[in-house]
Amino acid sequence: MDLIADLRTDAAALLRDGRAKLVIGYRAGGAGDAARRAPVFVSDPARVDVLVYDASCRQNLASYLRKPEVRSRAPVAVVAPPPVMRSLVLLAAESQITDATVVVLGVGEGVYHGVLDIAQTAALLREKYADLAPSAEVVREIERIAAMTAEERAAFWTARFARCTRCYACRAACPLCYCTRCIVEKNVPQWISSAAAGHGNYAWNIVRAFHLAGRCTLCGACEAACPQGIPIMLLNVLAAEEAARDFDARPGYDPAEKPVIGSFKPDDNDDFIR
Amino acid sequence: MTEPERQLAEPSAAFEPRLVALVCTWCTYAGADLAGTSRLPYAPNVRIIQFPCTGRIDPLLVLKAFEGGADGVLVSGCHPGDCHYTSGNYHARRRWAIVRRLLEFTGIDSRRLYFSWVSAAEGRKFADLVNEITQAVRAAGPFEPANPARRRPWT
Repeated sequence: MDLIADLRTDAAALLRDGRAKLVIGYRAGGAGDAARRAPVFVSDPARVDVLVYDASCRQNLASYLRKPEVRSRAPVAVVAPPPVMRSLVLLAAESQITDATVVVLGVGEGVYHGVLDIAQTAALLREKYADLAPSAEVVREIERIAAMTAEERAAFWTARFARCTRCYACRAACPLCYCTRCIVEKNVPQWISSAAAGHGNYAWNIVRAFHLAGRCTLCGACEAACPQGIPIMLLNVLAAEEAARDFDARPGYDPAEKPVIGSFKPDDNDDFIR
Repeated sequence: MTEPERQLAEPSAAFEPRLVALVCTWCTYAGADLAGTSRLPYAPNVRIIQFPCTGRIDPLLVLKAFEGGADGVLVSGCHPGDCHYTSGNYHARRRWAIVRRLLEFTGIDSRRLYFSWVSAAEGRKFADLVNEITQAVRAAGPFEPANPARRRPWT
């Protein structure tokens, strides 16, 4: 209970002092179900009592920061569990947010970390959450699929991508998919077919995962948002593992880090190149 | 009857792979040119597409090749340190490392997708490489119907 009381007190203080014009947090309820958690936008210090936080708060609230109607309300305070903190540090590394536009309200499992700036958030992550790992279940599933033949893998993914309706909920849920014009909407030339079928679905899902390689902080918001139950995290974790192994990528721990794709080392691994 | 006409008139019953080579103009394209001017015979299965630099070769181009029905794709450019634009091949190398893993995981494995460094002086290496890859893809067989990226009519 302390966690929530402290969170509400700090949120109210931020709004009252003008250190934040808007607090993005979680509230109880949503779709008529009190057990669910939904995002809430608070701009009145008298209304901070709607804010809650617990383990059911899964949505990545950092995804709202790119929206013009939110940007225009800067500075914005964001309730951030550890994966969201990582997203925020990465957004800072990519020059999308600064201390002048975003304040972090750090929360963890049963703990409240207080009002943080970006450097403090990164320090906290390195100190307390340095070993955030993908779920063992996802890692096991990746191993299972990797052990299949190429034909079996193709069949596995063709069946899953066939369900994709190209609603782009995965993109909307992701704080790191912030391009104002996504590659999938560029149609001169049409790189990725926009029809919700075969080759277009394959290209979209692969390219989405590729654009997040070395950037994805594994918050899982895309997979949770997918109405068709496509196991998107398998691709994200696979690309993240590769980026970590070959390029020492640890996205979201250092606001001064260089982009993984977009930088290089002369001695990068090239044992796969003839 | 010219050779292309003969091929059209008498299609071979055996499977002949279709390969697409995405190459940079400064090294591998010049290397392929050298193979040609040196009269080195190599498999005619490859369609060479010239790019200014491997740094320009977006992974989408690889996907497009498979979408259009390629049985195998080769991406090739300048050796590390030789890039005409200093660092295009280094940037490309990082992308390839990720993309090949994603494609392998989703059904386009290393029998279908190849990467190489071929310099302008390596006409022999280019010819040998194309022969070798053609042989490997021929052994792997037609990519249809397993190709997950193939363009198909919307049903």
